[in-house]
Amino acid sequence: MIEINKLAKKFKVENPKKLSEQDKKDPRLQGRFFHSVKEVSFACQNGQVLGLLGPNGAGKTTTLRMLSTALQPDSGSIEIGGIDILQNPVEARRQIGFLSGGTGLYGRLSGRENIAYFGQLNGMSPKEIDKRISELSERLDMDTFLDRRSETYSTGMKQKASIARSVIHSPKVVILDEPTTGLDIMATQTVLNFIRDLKSQNVPVIFSTHHLDEVSELCDMVTIIDKGETMFDDTFDTFKAVAGPSLHEAFLESIGHNKNNKPVAQGE
Amino acid sequence: MWLVFQKEIKELLRDRKTLFFMIALPILLFPLIIGGAIYVGSKVVEGAKTEERSFAIIGGEYSSEFTQKLNDVEQFKLVELPADIDTKEEITAYVKADNVDFVIEIPENYSRDVLTNGKIVLTLYRNQAGLAVVESVLNKIVDEFSEEYQNVAFENLTLNEEQQKSLLEPIKIEQVNVADERETQGENIGGLIPYFIFMLCLQGAMLPASDLGAGEKERGTLETLLITPIERNKIVLGKFFTIAFAGVTSALVTVLSIAIWTTVLSQGAANEVVMKFMSSIGAIDFILVFLMLVPVVAIFAAVLLTLSIYARSFKEAQGYMTPLVFVVIIPVIFAMLPGVELKGIWAWVPLTNVALAIKELIKGTMDYVQLFAIFGSTAIIAGGLLAFCIHWFKQEKVLFR
Repeated sequence: MIEINKLAKKFKVENPKKLSEQDKKDPRLQGRFFHSVKEVSFACQNGQVLGLLGPNGAGKTTTLRMLSTALQPDSGSIEIGGIDILQNPVEARRQIGFLSGGTGLYGRLSGRENIAYFGQLNGMSPKEIDKRISELSERLDMDTFLDRRSETYSTGMKQKASIARSVIHSPKVVILDEPTTGLDIMATQTVLNFIRDLKSQNVPVIFSTHHLDEVSELCDMVTIIDKGETMFDDTFDTFKAVAGPSLHEAFLESIGHNKNNKPVAQGE
Repeated sequence: MWLVFQKEIKELLRDRKTLFFMIALPILLFPLIIGGAIYVGSKVVEGAKTEERSFAIIGGEYSSEFTQKLNDVEQFKLVELPADIDTKEEITAYVKADNVDFVIEIPENYSRDVLTNGKIVLTLYRNQAGLAVVESVLNKIVDEFSEEYQNVAFENLTLNEEQQKSLLEPIKIEQVNVADERETQGENIGGLIPYFIFMLCLQGAMLPASDLGAGEKERGTLETLLITPIERNKIVLGKFFTIAFAGVTSALVTVLSIAIWTTVLSQGAANEVVMKFMSSIGAIDFILVFLMLVPVVAIFAAVLLTLSIYARSFKEAQGYMTPLVFVVIIPVIFAMLPGVELKGIWAWVPLTNVALAIKELIKGTMDYVQLFAIFGSTAIIAGGLLAFCIHWFKQEKVLFR
């Protein structure tokens, strides 16, 4: 399981004059600092899928980057299986699988080489890597293109290879940052199936998305953040009950906006 | 770290664009450019030599001998000057109007006996500067006659051979060069060598550097790499060595290519001089030149990687790197200036001191104790820059701009 408690992260504003009008109005801007994430807490048990929702600029990506240890939080704690990962981020990375919609592959390497490289970086032996790749290749149906240079891949093939790459080391937690953004229906389905697969293996999955249908299809837990703070954190069933049958209404209600008052998008 | 290095090299070797710039360009393009320039140059010269030139003679009656000699030149064609052209101005205008290529005026006093009749002054009217070929032919004829007339005069004066020589050249400077051949040649080309090597290393390292930093950001693979359980400094070192390796390889390939093609093109003629010069430089000095290059390449690689990782895209990285070429050229140019020696303040200017040291090594006049100081100070700078690069690589504001 993974538990996040009162995570916060601020960024120094290098040049306040360059900020947009919207940014200047954001209450998170305090002096020379922009408090991108102020207080975010949630937890995800083994075998659960947690959907992280929020308007653009709410702090989702920053939160997930802190979870993946790419960014260091200013305060708060992240525990995987009861161990604080911030104490030893390098070790913690062995337990985390991370994938975002924007991740790419090394185009001049084949899919297999791409995946194997990350296996090696995770300290796996060549034998383990071979075994794991053939396992993943079968599950994701990648046999036909695995040994081609990845620059020739279609979006779907790329996404499959990226998925395999992110779980080559059998992580204890998988974090996905808008994994379906920009994908076609087929590739999206691959990602959703992959999440289901992880769920059946009892691996907790945290993913951020803008698609409420994905949430209703997969999520056990829903966390909504806005302006860097947790606005809602409960089960999917509770979320569904917030505002009648419409999930969109429930979402708007959770971040404190009625229909006539559109949420203000913030740049991160 | 070697894992990162291995993978980067593998990727680099599969990149046609980088390979082209690193290997194909120096091997094929340099000889093509040099060969092409030589070919075009020789064609132009040949064309100028064989082109027919028309000329007219004024006062041809004063020397049938000289007129005959001019007429004998194959590409010179004698034309008659119109009778109404007489004065200097008229002749000038006539030549200017391109009626003839040149007019030569033989003076009244033309004679084999210069002692009695005085100095012969020939007047040549010509239009373009491009008539260098005409001039050289004329000079040859004039020199021939001059020597002949000189001998006539000497005979008349009854001077012996020694007296003749003294008269022709009353004062002469005879040089005694205390520098040996290696030192002289080293002084001439020793400044150019570090210049070329520095530039080649920098150019060769630039493309891979942009690919390894900004390229990785652009493709979206950087974030994934950052969250693998490998320490940041190992990532940096892996990339750093790849860039340095690429720089050195590219420089070596170019130097070898130039050496091979020079040998092939000159068919051993120029090579003998080069070989003699090269063999005069000891193996130790060669090794020391390479050793001196190590911290320099390290400086380049560290700076390039720092710039590259800061840039958001490949294009941005290239934009940051272009001015770097000028920054590097300037201290190396200093080392090529006459009078700049490895003394005083110059021994402490980074890059300049290395360039000067390489020059001294080639000349064979290096003070090896000083070499330690230069190597040490350059290595410290390189280490500092690498440390900064690692620090830079851990900055969130750099990685997630």
